Amino acid sequence: MKMNKLISQFFVLSLLFLASCSSDDDGGSNPEESKGAYDNGILISGEGSGAGTGSISYVSDDLTISENLIYKKVNSTELGVYVQSVAFDDDSAFIIVDNANTITVVDRYTFEYEGEISTGLSTPRFMVVDGDTGYVTNWGDPSNDSDDFIAVVNLNSNAVVETIPVGNGPERIVENNGKLYVSHKGAYSTNNIISVIDTDDDSVEEITVKDNPDELFINSVGDLMVLSEGNTIYDADWNVVGQTAASISTIDTSSNAVVEELVFADGNSPSLMVLDGSTVYFALNNEIYAMNESASNLPSASLLEAEGFMYAFAVDSDRIYATDTSFSDVSKLNIYDLDTQEKLDTKEVALGAAKIYFN
Amino acid sequence: MKKENLFLVIVCFTFFNGFAQHDSLVNHLDQVIIQADYRLKEHSVGYKVTRLNDSILLKNTESFSALMRFNSPLYVKEYGAGGTSSVSFRGTSATNTAVVWNGININAVNNGQTDFNALTVSLFDAIDIRSGGGSLEYGSGAIGGTVHLNDYLQFSEKERITNQFVASVGSFETYNGLYKINVSNAKFALNAGLNYVQSENDYPWNDGDLYNYNGAYQNLAFNVNAAFLLNTYSKLKLYSANYLGERFFSGELPNPFSANDKYNDFSFRNLLIYTHDKGKIYQEAKLAFISDEYRYFENEAVDYYDYGKSKRYIANYNISYQWPQLNASISSYSEYESTFGNTNKILEKNRKQFSQSFIFEQKIGSIFDYNAKVRKDFNSDYEVPFTYALGMKLHLNNGFFFRANGSKNYRVPTYNDLYWPGQGNLDLIPETAWQADVGIGFKNNLFNVDIGAFYIDASDKIVWTPNGDLNKPNVWVPINLDDVDNKGVELVLSYNNCFNKHHIHVDVNYSYTESINQETGKQVIFVPKHLLKGSLGYTYGRFSLYYQQLVTGKVYTTESNSEDFIVPQHAVANVGLDFRLFNTKNNQCTLGVKVNNVFDEYYVVQPRRPMPNRNFNFNINYKF
Repeated sequence: MKMNKLISQFFVLSLLFLASCSSDDDGGSNPEESKGAYDNGILISGEGSGAGTGSISYVSDDLTISENLIYKKVNSTELGVYVQSVAFDDDSAFIIVDNANTITVVDRYTFEYEGEISTGLSTPRFMVVDGDTGYVTNWGDPSNDSDDFIAVVNLNSNAVVETIPVGNGPERIVENNGKLYVSHKGAYSTNNIISVIDTDDDSVEEITVKDNPDELFINSVGDLMVLSEGNTIYDADWNVVGQTAASISTIDTSSNAVVEELVFADGNSPSLMVLDGSTVYFALNNEIYAMNESASNLPSASLLEAEGFMYAFAVDSDRIYATDTSFSDVSKLNIYDLDTQEKLDTKEVALGAAKIYFN
Repeated sequence: MKKENLFLVIVCFTFFNGFAQHDSLVNHLDQVIIQADYRLKEHSVGYKVTRLNDSILLKNTESFSALMRFNSPLYVKEYGAGGTSSVSFRGTSATNTAVVWNGININAVNNGQTDFNALTVSLFDAIDIRSGGGSLEYGSGAIGGTVHLNDYLQFSEKERITNQFVASVGSFETYNGLYKINVSNAKFALNAGLNYVQSENDYPWNDGDLYNYNGAYQNLAFNVNAAFLLNTYSKLKLYSANYLGERFFSGELPNPFSANDKYNDFSFRNLLIYTHDKGKIYQEAKLAFISDEYRYFENEAVDYYDYGKSKRYIANYNISYQWPQLNASISSYSEYESTFGNTNKILEKNRKQFSQSFIFEQKIGSIFDYNAKVRKDFNSDYEVPFTYALGMKLHLNNGFFFRANGSKNYRVPTYNDLYWPGQGNLDLIPETAWQADVGIGFKNNLFNVDIGAFYIDASDKIVWTPNGDLNKPNVWVPINLDDVDNKGVELVLSYNNCFNKHHIHVDVNYSYTESINQETGKQVIFVPKHLLKGSLGYTYGRFSLYYQQLVTGKVYTTESNSEDFIVPQHAVANVGLDFRLFNTKNNQCTLGVKVNNVFDEYYVVQPRRPMPNRNFNFNINYKF
């Protein structure tokens, strides 16, 4: 079937918290404030695969409730494949299904269907919300390097009102002070830029980083941090012969200059960078490492070795959540104490579990 | 003693007659039918073979998948009507089902499967479906069973020319046109046929606005087969089957309109056979050239595609010796094959294989037939296991019989398994499977019953899995992983009777299958436990009415058999009415109408891909 699409999908290892998550008071100890069945917990999105639909799972903060396929339960339909990511504003969640060129809009706490954006998108990947406007990265036709764009969505009408052309393979997107920062992982090929888009005039400026930038966020002092995974090099017979350098780059958002670049040892390909407070966490060879956002050296010792196939992880103030992802079956979510690294619990979660969000 | 005549009298075939079988084989009892694949008819003792003759093929011209779904004992997995499609026997998989064209295994080199929507079969004279392992005769992939596409040629005393024209118009702008010509005399026989199919295939889905977007297909098939009687003892036969297809791959729920991919395939299959049959010795030499190509356009609007190509050269020599004193025969088959395959991401690879097999067959009295077979392959890429098979059939009194067979079979890794860029695994070994199959049955003029049980023990099954290679974390690679045991029971029943001018025909085919992964103890994905197919035919004078029913049990789509991820059970039925406009010796014409999915059942065979709702097909079949 779509073997090449499928297999490329397998290569695309990715995770991000969208900066707009607002529910920081973990614990959810005020039940009277609950805005719906899926408040005060975490949401795990699963890409789905030939074995089953993409879906969203919910695990309550107190770990007593865990529920799978919550969108299907509430709305009696499936999301389809592949659920790439979810974006949020205060009230809604925007579920991005890349092969279906569709963003399904739901109430983020009840998961009731509110609408959808199903025209004007072409292999959508990630979205960020700024007021009534959503910005969505789109690969276009993945075999075409020059048709990639940011779709500007009016969230009142759920219509794409404008497109901003950008370089190949736009992936993650964050918003900061009227500017959009987009990492260009390069879709099925490779790229090494961050686009900086001024939303006033849609002007685009590019910053060069190491190959295949993926996760990015604004850290606690207002700098942009980017994880570049490095690019795998093949010979003519498609044997792996090497890997370009990977790095964590820190960029001054006023000058767009790279002020720090922590380069990984040869052959290392890190992934899945997240921020909690001022601590940066990333994954390398299925282990989680932690460092301060202002560190000038990469950490040498890992914090935790994940079980199984870690395709996503997240950290809040006292816990680490790491997936053991399966694409042929339901996945597992392992929950660890951040301080002791002791495993607290394991939950069954979405097939192809790929992203974790706090709700 | 003529081998060609044996085919008509072999009793071990379980015919699945369909409804209007009167016009196919029975008329030609005096004719000499020439088949390319002499092993199927000679060496199937103890196996269950189901035949779909040309009258069934021409009534089910929508697609090969639809034909198999309603008329064979197999499970059909189709990505929406007209999309990628595969079939499986007895809880095995698409790669464990060999498709055999006139004796040659034509599963694709790249993925080891045959796409049942990339093959038109209306031009073939019969399809035989043999349940049970057949690696001994047909090599890799013949584990669950084999599907045989056969052409028949016949010489005739008098010079004869017959033409056949079949046309159908169906819902969703589906058109099918077929023309066949047979020319024969005492020394020459020719069959040629042309078939064109096109369909918009844009059937509505359950709720109003959605439909099977981007599902259109068209294809052209062109076959030419000829036989020459060179002298009393020798014949030359030539077979050529060519196919050009274009399909768009339809979308799925929730937004079918995002689909924009397209698939083209081309195949050219050519076979030359020389036979020499004198006294006790029969010899046969074959040369075959088969080429396949696919092009996959991820975006149909862009002229960029992924492709795969393969070329296969096969040379084969058979000799068999009849042993009249023992009422036995011994045969030797030697075959050499050189295969070249490449894709846009795999440089051309050449695989060479030599195989040698021996088959001993004996009849003891009129009640007991058996055969014993062995085969050894020598392959340039890996070790192929030594294989063997035994088959027997005991004819008891009063039409009762007992049949049994057992064999060891294999499936070699495909080019994708071995060479997929960055993921292929050169350390793979062939999958192997033991299988055994026993059945008892009864046959008389009215009834034909076969009740059987099977067991397949498959090891080292090739599974693509993440982290299969510890040196490549997070990368999906194929490894020899699963051990699976399949067991089940099968029932075939047919009943034919005439009351005055009323002819009644009933067919029932039921199977219960457990396919258990030995590590997890769970049912293998996409294997229905229950599969029931039935049909009822009634003919009175010029009218024939028929009803087909399919019930496919629930399948799991995850290894853990999660109830959250299933394809629910579905029951679908078709009805049809044929009217024989005229029927003289030289002119026959039938008009037909068929209502598919007559109860308008909403169903899927793949998640989120609804199948066609109620739809109609009108056809005309004119023979002159």
